[in-house]
Amino acid sequence: MDGKETIISVKNLKINIALDEGTLTAVRGVSFSIDKGETLGLVGESGCGKSLTCKAILGINDKKCSTEGEIFFDTDAEGEVDLLKLPPKGEQIRDVRGKQISMIFQEPMVCFSPMYTIGNQINESTRLHITKDKKKAKAISLDMMKKVGIANAEKRYDQYPHEFSGGMLQRALIAMALVCKPKLLIADEPTTALDVTIQAQILELIKELQKDLQMSVLFVTHDLGTVAKMCDRVAVMYLGKIIETGSVEQIYHDPKHPYTKGLLGSVHKIGTKKQERLFSIEGTVPLAMNLPSGCSFYDRCKDRIEGVCNVKEPEVLAIESNHTVSCHAVSRTIKGGSSIE
Amino acid sequence: MSDYILQVKNLHKVFTSKKISVKAVTDVSFNIVQGETIGIVGESGCGKTTLGRCIVRGIPATSGSVLYTAEDGETYDFLNIDRNKLKELRKDIQMIFQDPYSSLDPRMSVLDIIKEPLEANFPDMSKDEMEYKAIEIAAKVGLNTSYLKRYPHAFSGGQRQRIGIARALVTHPRLIVCDEPVSALDVSIQAQVINLLKDLQKDMGLTYIFISHDLSVVEHISDRVGVMYLGKMVEFAETEALFSKPMHPYTEALLSSVPVADPTVKMDRIPLKGEIPNPANPPSGCYFHERCSYFLDKCKEVSPEYCEIRQGREVACHRAEELDLRGFSYDE
Repeated sequence: MDGKETIISVKNLKINIALDEGTLTAVRGVSFSIDKGETLGLVGESGCGKSLTCKAILGINDKKCSTEGEIFFDTDAEGEVDLLKLPPKGEQIRDVRGKQISMIFQEPMVCFSPMYTIGNQINESTRLHITKDKKKAKAISLDMMKKVGIANAEKRYDQYPHEFSGGMLQRALIAMALVCKPKLLIADEPTTALDVTIQAQILELIKELQKDLQMSVLFVTHDLGTVAKMCDRVAVMYLGKIIETGSVEQIYHDPKHPYTKGLLGSVHKIGTKKQERLFSIEGTVPLAMNLPSGCSFYDRCKDRIEGVCNVKEPEVLAIESNHTVSCHAVSRTIKGGSSIE
Repeated sequence: MSDYILQVKNLHKVFTSKKISVKAVTDVSFNIVQGETIGIVGESGCGKTTLGRCIVRGIPATSGSVLYTAEDGETYDFLNIDRNKLKELRKDIQMIFQDPYSSLDPRMSVLDIIKEPLEANFPDMSKDEMEYKAIEIAAKVGLNTSYLKRYPHAFSGGQRQRIGIARALVTHPRLIVCDEPVSALDVSIQAQVINLLKDLQKDMGLTYIFISHDLSVVEHISDRVGVMYLGKMVEFAETEALFSKPMHPYTEALLSSVPVADPTVKMDRIPLKGEIPNPANPPSGCYFHERCSYFLDKCKEVSPEYCEIRQGREVACHRAEELDLRGFSYDE
């Protein structure tokens, strides 16, 4: 891609969940790639399959989920490998998990075991992946704790999670994720549970460390504000599909898909003149079971074309370089676009 | 007759246990005019929710008064009225809760949930009338009335929040305390619920106290906003004045941390040192001085008085007059 080094490319990822009621198709053919040092934002509402996609990359989804597709990752040892083909408990994937790709989770308060000290838990990763030497490992872990801005790291190392505040725990979690200097960091709603002032601190921290370590970041969130601050490119998901991708500028200033427009319109921007009403998308996200044919956004869409949108699923359409949309209405208005599969 | 529908005066709430006492709300005062929306913002643990609960008498306040002017023009201290009067006035002040998943009884049908406040407040009302009123209000908040016999689990988050709103509205209250009513909802659903709250306000002449940590939502819905820090009100002003020209350093820092959904707006954050102190052991002097970038020696010792600096602007800061703080620029 443009001569840039691609770290990971996900191709046509599908995830089915077997439930008692039937099969729920949570992710329905998601494709994206991330370059070295780049931040991709994955945006969407709850239940659209963001988290499942992330977990599929690490192969840590529940047993009930069956995954299809390809995830090519540029591993240290063997170059490009399809992560989905690796045995989920094998040595190879374990060398990737936590070392080359690591993940920060939404709620730092539930991610740590209350029974072990913070230092102990950060060290777990260090000792597994970097060195078996206890003293060296502790030094590396402490160093990382200092880097993420935990004051008094030596004292904090021996403390338990309940002695940390939410913001500090998130820092500790980031330290744990970054201690092995991963190539790719998956941040799944890393600041949703935090207060604004703390959120700003954490976002800045992730950005700084990203520069330091030359990491790529997959930033998953439903908060359009943080995406604008953090990401280079954005992929908008709706009901298990990416419906629009583009650079942040393209998505925020020139959104094409009705859903993206609606999503952006429903966020009030401080400092703009007061609108009486917020723009809102009608209806609610349908259940991803027995989806109707055609575009999954059809019921809620303002620009729907009867006889087209509810019949055929829209194809991915490239509008500009890096800006793609899947929407019949858009492809009708824009003639210059070419359809790619 | 008072100009205000509600006057909160020197409200205190102290939680005590055997070992420690925590001042959750300290000396909070403000007034609300009929039909307006007051936003209360602050970070977690600053006492927003406790304040809201004290006002509706969900938990007893330690001291202070909440003067409520009823429809007949009489003013009562809502915190000190007797049981009978309380029963009569309860229906006027209702609350909408944060979490639409845990605030609805899973074993009651939606119709029963919406009807319940009527049963409690109007014991003489006939069953049919109650049902009629419940259905009427359910339709008003946009619930499909043919689904009212179902149980809460069958509804989505946004729908549940509508049930919560319907339940609060069924007694035809005059004032509603909304405690983070949209925080648990998705963005597109948030907008729906906020629009609904605004429409209902217009229709029914409601007055809202809107408690939230989400500054952009508060800015959108409120006429006036109060900022709380560690149990104290630090600033109170009209929305646009507060957001464009904050007068308390904490407000400034809070505003500068908000990520705006526009990549061209660069975040120029005013760093806050450290974290929110433990409310059980607050710092001396001004509670905020340890994290403030403008503090003087005086701030360490003397707690600043919360006072009206200008018409309609109340601030608790020693340097409020001299500081020139940064907010959002409102351009047309």
